[in-house]
Amino acid sequence: MKVDTKQKKFGMAIDLDKCTGCGSCMVACMSENNVPFKKDETNKLDSITWIKVYKVTNDKKYPDTDLCYIPRPCMHCDGQHGHAPCVSVCPAVATDNDKSTGVVSQIYTRCFGCRYCMAACPYHARYFNWWDPVWPEGMEKYLSPNVSPRMRGVVEKCSFCFHRYQLAMDKAYVEGRRELREDEYQTSCTQACPAGAITFGDLNNPKHTVHKMVQPDNKHHGKPKNPKAFRLLERLGTNAKVYYLSDRKWVRKLGDNQTPNEESSKKH
Amino acid sequence: MSTIDDKATEVPEDAAGESAETVPPEQEKEEVAEKKEINKGLVIFVFIAAFVASLIVGWILFPMVLYTQENQPIDFNHALHLEEVENSCESCHFFREDGSYAGVPKLAQCVDCHDEVMGDDPDELAFVENYVQKNIEVPWLIYSQQSDCVFFSHAAHVKAAKMDCVSCHGDIGESTSLKVYEKNIITGISRDIWGKNIGGIKLHSWDRMKMNDCAKCHKEETGNQGACFQCHK
Amino acid sequence: MKIDRRDFLSLGIGAAAGIGAGTALSPLPWKLIDDSSIWSQNWPWTPVPPDGAVSFKNSVCTLCPGGCGITVRKVEDRCIKIEGTKGNIVNNGGICILGLSGLQLLYGPTRVKAPMKKDGGRWKEISWDSAIDEIVKRLKNIRKEGKPESVACVSGTDQGTVAQLIGRFLTAYGSPNYIRTSSIADSYEIALKKLHGQFSSIGFDFENSDFVLSFGSGVADGWGSPVRMFKANSKWKDSKDKALYQIESRLSNTAAKADKWIAIIPGTEAILAMGIANVIIQKSLYKKKLIEKYSKGFNNFKALVLKEYSPEKVSKITGVKKSEIIAIAKKFAGASRPVAICGSGQGRTPGSIFEFMAVHALNALIGSVNNIGGVFSVPEPDYIKWTEAEKDDVAAKGIKTDRIDGAGKKYPDTRYLINRLIDSINSTGDSPVELLFVNGANPCYTMPDTENVIKAFKKIPYIVSFSSYFDETTEMADIILPNHTNLERLEDIPLAAGLIKPVVGLSMPVVEPECNTRHIGDVFIQMAKLMDGNIKASFPWNNYEECLKKTLGDKWDKLARDGYWVDENSRASRGIFDFTPLVKNNRNLVKPEGKSKLTLIPYDSMRLTVGYIGDPPFAMKTVEDTILKGNDVFVEINPKTAADYNLSEGDKARLTTSKGKAKVRVHLYDGIRPGIVAMPRGLGHTEFDEYLAGKGENFNKLIGPVEDPVSGLDAAWGIQAEITKT
Repeated sequence: MKVDTKQKKFGMAIDLDKCTGCGSCMVACMSENNVPFKKDETNKLDSITWIKVYKVTNDKKYPDTDLCYIPRPCMHCDGQHGHAPCVSVCPAVATDNDKSTGVVSQIYTRCFGCRYCMAACPYHARYFNWWDPVWPEGMEKYLSPNVSPRMRGVVEKCSFCFHRYQLAMDKAYVEGRRELREDEYQTSCTQACPAGAITFGDLNNPKHTVHKMVQPDNKHHGKPKNPKAFRLLERLGTNAKVYYLSDRKWVRKLGDNQTPNEESSKKH
Repeated sequence: MSTIDDKATEVPEDAAGESAETVPPEQEKEEVAEKKEINKGLVIFVFIAAFVASLIVGWILFPMVLYTQENQPIDFNHALHLEEVENSCESCHFFREDGSYAGVPKLAQCVDCHDEVMGDDPDELAFVENYVQKNIEVPWLIYSQQSDCVFFSHAAHVKAAKMDCVSCHGDIGESTSLKVYEKNIITGISRDIWGKNIGGIKLHSWDRMKMNDCAKCHKEETGNQGACFQCHK
Repeated sequence: MKIDRRDFLSLGIGAAAGIGAGTALSPLPWKLIDDSSIWSQNWPWTPVPPDGAVSFKNSVCTLCPGGCGITVRKVEDRCIKIEGTKGNIVNNGGICILGLSGLQLLYGPTRVKAPMKKDGGRWKEISWDSAIDEIVKRLKNIRKEGKPESVACVSGTDQGTVAQLIGRFLTAYGSPNYIRTSSIADSYEIALKKLHGQFSSIGFDFENSDFVLSFGSGVADGWGSPVRMFKANSKWKDSKDKALYQIESRLSNTAAKADKWIAIIPGTEAILAMGIANVIIQKSLYKKKLIEKYSKGFNNFKALVLKEYSPEKVSKITGVKKSEIIAIAKKFAGASRPVAICGSGQGRTPGSIFEFMAVHALNALIGSVNNIGGVFSVPEPDYIKWTEAEKDDVAAKGIKTDRIDGAGKKYPDTRYLINRLIDSINSTGDSPVELLFVNGANPCYTMPDTENVIKAFKKIPYIVSFSSYFDETTEMADIILPNHTNLERLEDIPLAAGLIKPVVGLSMPVVEPECNTRHIGDVFIQMAKLMDGNIKASFPWNNYEECLKKTLGDKWDKLARDGYWVDENSRASRGIFDFTPLVKNNRNLVKPEGKSKLTLIPYDSMRLTVGYIGDPPFAMKTVEDTILKGNDVFVEINPKTAADYNLSEGDKARLTTSKGKAKVRVHLYDGIRPGIVAMPRGLGHTEFDEYLAGKGENFNKLIGPVEDPVSGLDAAWGIQAEITKT
């Protein structure tokens, strides 16, 4: 059997200057992935949001204040040697880094809820189900068959809507193809974003917009060559597949989470 | 009452056997030996009996308890239909345009031919009367239904890898009658996933469809057993 | 043979060993382990969504006036997901948080599942026939008493066949009292009427603008058609030569997206607009030829602006630096396709007409009226061409009576004055409204001085709600005739949210009605038929679908296929721009009520819907914990001001205005002018579901209507408030 050996590296570029913080990505994700909800969602530590929009400010006094929203899905880290921080600590092999797509999985039925992965993830991208999901009577009607509803006691996170990849591949197979067009596999948040701030595609494919936007340098663990682009906590070496773009220097600095004086101390 | 017994009561339990063997009174030796013989034989017998009984329980009774038997609502004759249709299995079990797999046909497809009773088969008569005329979907029991966490792509296997249906589904297409559906009382899943053989002994490729079976075939065919998300959702 | 203890033990061990070995060699333990793990991974109470054939159905979203195209993904007959329609004229694939949550409304617990009648303070299900009979009986009695004008309707819109059917019913019945809830659409309509001499809607050609000067309009917070505005904003970002300046006292999401944030003293936007006009005129940056040819009263305007609005003076009033005013004016006049817009936040409440006229005058000065990248006066879509409703004597007499809300009298250009409806009910002994229909509106939540509104609604003897959901106003009703939800109903949706051509969308049923609901159009046709006489004769259609298809005629096919129809033949009215009303109403501004030092202003956010529908659970989940924590709402306050009041982050406090009190918590925010307290709109619901009700406080409880001296509409943008730590 012929096997497609061309490796994909699905990734995302989010233009923070376009993001308005409207929250569509969050709801598009919840709706696509059967994410449950409960009466009080204001304790954000137990509020499951696969993509969460963080609000940050430049910490300057009025009227020099500026704010920026940072949508944070799972970064689908590759690490330095193909190990995402969460994958290497999972004792149950409930999560893996798929070398053919670059997507970091999470298998709910395999997870037994030790939450090592949550501790290991520097992005707080993983969420624990403290309760069984409960939908008000009748509302379970809208649940999608493409994503398994989770049970209490397991960890869940953004999957880059991998089921959409699966379904797109099915269509391709039936049509006798083995490759997808760029627009055939897009995550739910990308599709919904009213500002068009999210770009999704194959970082390994020079024809894909996401590649052109960030110009990943694969010799240096995917570091962006575009000076406007950055990754969150770059220096942790997580080799994330989610890139951010901003014209604002303070945003880029904050995204890399530099400590005060870091820049000056480097010079010395 | 034997003294051994008395003695045994006198010594601490864990030392009982030892003391009995190290200082046996002369006149009781023979009796003990005889008794030991009986004991040994009996113990072996009991062991074997228990062993056999457990095997019987495990291999024969356990599966009988573990699975409840349910009959399909209509006894469907695959062989008969296969003769009538043009496009073999895919005539009824087809791919939708979006690449998804339709699986067990819906009533709407059956009605294409069975709008009215065609033959004199009592099952067909029941089908038309109870389902077609009342416009109720037939609650077919699906032998190969995996649990919800599994994503299985028919397109990848049938279209891309050009596998035939038999590899996984066996010769159901040649059957003239539907076998009894066996449902696991613990998991609610069809017996066909674990396989008819309770010991998991696999004679054909379609005998069992557990994750390891998938992984094994993937490893053989593609060189690697695949990533989690390839088959899970 | 006796079995002694030792034997017993040996045999026991033997049996155990046998069982052990036998069991180990049988599949039993291994199979049980496997099964129990599968069992524990698939609890029977975790739902397994059934699979099936996927289909996509297109429609138009009606949850806000934005008019986005939506594509609903279905699995068999279940709706799974709502997505934006690719290629749609408004939203091209994008979709907002509320539209996305639509399925939670469709399948949610807030639905009114059948016609309901209030019986001893509790809702009781009744049949459609008896519900309609009861209403018709009342309508007949009121008519018999010769008071047809005491029947009124409050509705979210006056456009489209449904609104027109209700209006027609009232006309034939004999009541002039069809009342539309107010928004900036009213303000723009009135400003355009005054300046251009004719009624039209406002349209903006944002996609082609290169400089947008926004006087507090939340273009990135849900103003206009939200998704369209987000797309336009991104387009401005894509080009280095395009810019957005935001004039607002708070660093809103829009201000943060803007190339420049001008933190103005709230309520002085009109003064700044006049100041900018001063610089443009002073420096001769305006389009002289255009002004000469197409305007009236310019000289008076010029004199006024030069005399009263020098940058120095304006700077003092507005708090914007003189140099900044000049810079803005130069930037605005120097851009090739600039546009100035107003209507604060999402534009859900009307504003000062003086401000709207002053801002619109800026567009006129630099030639952006009816020009590429500018503003357009767009005629209302003209496709409903029914013969006039038949009137008998009762109707003819009733229709001539004064409107209960007084619209059109003291303020001739104002068509609807819902704030005055409340006053006229509360100011008399018996309510002048005997029977009220409520459709697509939730005044008992959305209107200022909520307590007063509820008082008025309590006085109305009989309220008929057509709401699909248990909202605050519906809870006040006597009978509910639940309409299908937006996903279940057929309806033409004229898009009023700032497009430059009249566009009509078609909302299509994407799913069979989930509950025992009925299309409001059908209900009115049915009621008309039961009313006999001229009313029956005015409704020649058998049902709503027939009515809509006949009304749309040859547009039906296009609408059914594409979901929308654009009136390409419509031309913007090219009237003369008359500066006179602007000069005449100079400084007719709206001041906040009260005498306290702090000013409380509301702010809008996409994550908290402020319309007649409450936030669905998904949207509530996105609300930040600096806005809502538990049931406490946070108000934003500058750290400097907070220090004056001895408040620190998270403190509990009491907010008091002349209208009411609210328990709040404090969030220190540098992005707000000192002296201002900002509170989010959209919280403090008392109805809907447990995911929304009882959370936070309703801003409308704290503010009262302040009539705009030009239009009579409520134009309160803030209120003086006191904050004390508790």
